[in-house]
Amino acid sequence: MLLYEFEGKKLFKNCGINVPQSQLISGSDDRIISIKSPLVLKAQTLSGKRADSGGIVKVDRGQVTGDSLRQLFGKTINGEKVEKVLVEEMVEIEKEYYLSFSYSTETRGPVLTFGEGGTGAEEKGAKTYPVDILQGYSGENVPEELMDTAKKLWEVFTKYDCELAEINPLVVVKGNPSTSLRVYALDAKVILDDDADFRREIKFPERNLFGRPPTQAEIEARKIDEGDHRGTAGSVYWDLEGDIAVIAAGGGGSIVNMDALVALGGKPANYTEHSGNPPREKLKKLTQIVLSKPGLKGCWFVGGTANFTDIYETLMGFVEGLRELKPKPVYPIVIRRGGPRDKEAFEALKEIGKKEGFDFHIFGRETPMTSTAKIIIDLAYKGKGGSGKGKE
Amino acid sequence: MAILITQDTKVLIQGITGKEGSKVALQMQNYQTKVLAGVTPGKGGLEVHGVPVYNTIKEAMDNHPGINTSFVAVPNFAAYGAMEEAIKAKISLINVLTEHIPIADSAKAIALARQNNVRIVGPSSIGIISPGIGKIGSIGGDDPRGVFSKGSVGVISKSGGMASEVSWILTKNGIGQSTVIGIGGDILVGSSFTDLMEDFEKDPQTESVVLFGEIGGTYEEDAAEYISGKGKAGRGKFTKPVVAFISGLFAETLPQGTKLGHAGAIIYGEKGSYKSKINALESAGVIIAKTPDEIPELLQQTLS
Repeated sequence: MLLYEFEGKKLFKNCGINVPQSQLISGSDDRIISIKSPLVLKAQTLSGKRADSGGIVKVDRGQVTGDSLRQLFGKTINGEKVEKVLVEEMVEIEKEYYLSFSYSTETRGPVLTFGEGGTGAEEKGAKTYPVDILQGYSGENVPEELMDTAKKLWEVFTKYDCELAEINPLVVVKGNPSTSLRVYALDAKVILDDDADFRREIKFPERNLFGRPPTQAEIEARKIDEGDHRGTAGSVYWDLEGDIAVIAAGGGGSIVNMDALVALGGKPANYTEHSGNPPREKLKKLTQIVLSKPGLKGCWFVGGTANFTDIYETLMGFVEGLRELKPKPVYPIVIRRGGPRDKEAFEALKEIGKKEGFDFHIFGRETPMTSTAKIIIDLAYKGKGGSGKGKE
Repeated sequence: MAILITQDTKVLIQGITGKEGSKVALQMQNYQTKVLAGVTPGKGGLEVHGVPVYNTIKEAMDNHPGINTSFVAVPNFAAYGAMEEAIKAKISLINVLTEHIPIADSAKAIALARQNNVRIVGPSSIGIISPGIGKIGSIGGDDPRGVFSKGSVGVISKSGGMASEVSWILTKNGIGQSTVIGIGGDILVGSSFTDLMEDFEKDPQTESVVLFGEIGGTYEEDAAEYISGKGKAGRGKFTKPVVAFISGLFAETLPQGTKLGHAGAIIYGEKGSYKSKINALESAGVIIAKTPDEIPELLQQTLS
């Protein structure tokens, strides 16, 4: 989970990193600013390019802070509406640095990245140093005056199970002779490791990566897996703009199939994946959510040759979901799947399609998985592509 | 003779009394793999499908000194402890099925494994199969025989489902596999493409290799360096033909940081993009398959 600046700074403060005096303002309240000007008003958005989009405003002595605030709250930055503004005291900068801890696939462990600060810090030649996770970090590879802050940032990184803990810029301020008060984190970028949520003491509310609140379908889909660890279905679900509903299987295969669909001009209505061995009820719920969208032209239930997913159970869950839908789907439904109990599933599907009048096009492991992308596109958009009964 | 799993493979299952552990124990035995023992703390003395269960690895090793491979199927919060125990017991191959292990725990286990000169495959690994010899993990499910066949192509895949799908496509076209490995789609993996290609390079049974990669991270780029001989000093050069398939173009159309597919299939900035991987692999002379179904034909081309 990517944190807002003010949330990241809270973690920094918890570990003793200096941050400027600040006050968080929410859109609705019209509170009095208690920090002395000059000030910096910072729109709290997740997109990295706030400054370029006018999301950071400096207010000098005597200027009207209220007007600047109102302007910021009216803004949309990279698709994200500004709902909170962090008001901070402005500090006088003597030197700027970039400092972060993250994980590297090259060293397969944590790395320290350190260099000059400001935008494009990576391009300015910041250097990366491996950190031995078994030993910990004790101030290596940074100038002496930054060692203490770097150690504290390592504490943030490990204590809160971060994938990234970044300060850019980390600044040395003018005028203050005491080292402990000279180094400040002016910004915070923190990505938490979601897989460690179970042991992190501090919790943060869900946020919107797409710069919009989650849709009803996204909220509903994510509930399917809650409290039920048998396989997964719906915990990854995104609504998209298209008109071909997709129920894809496997964390790898799903993407392969989406690549194929999009490459051929298909417009997916959603992205979702199911994996492991989810019970029938999960697929039933997921199907109802995926297919409740208006304006669908087709449905693609697609997956590779499963190792252990029970194909009969998952496809019967799909059928149970279909039966609940009103109006009943009349658009083409292309199914491509392979794995345990697939033959049994296809026999049952053929019967059900005939009896209940679903436009099933069923393909087994003999048919290349990605080739069914073209089949669903042809059927959905051009009304062609076969007689209605696929080969197995 | 295949890699990782041979006639000498003797397996311990950590978490054998759990649902996955016990299911896989039976599957492995049905595929003529020797499962000597299982470990679940507090469940010592039980038997699972005829396999004796011990409380600790030490007890299991005392009774079955031949164990040389561990399969880890414990919940994510217990995974680091399980891996640490196996590493300290010097079990030379540790295959980790567990998904959603905190990245810090994976990093620690990988570092500890390096120090102790043992190998981790995974986390989030579907398993390893040497067709006709044996398997570890869920790979191939109850009956791998229809999908996997013995032959000369090594397969390394970030995706478990695609490891199976690619093998099936090969088998369907009369091409057998030496060893098929699901390395897992996490950000940090115990064994990368390159680590396993080094074994394939030495394996006389393996004549060519198929890689299934995804956007995110640098494991594909690293493999390209090894293939072209420009990699880390002393690593040498991979000399056998390689066909690769890379997925994830679709994911790049979504906002950066969007979670879908595997944990490792995530891009921040330019690093790890589809283009970066394709460019690296192509300039190393790797043939890129546009769809998984082209792989058999492309392999034939490399061999002729």
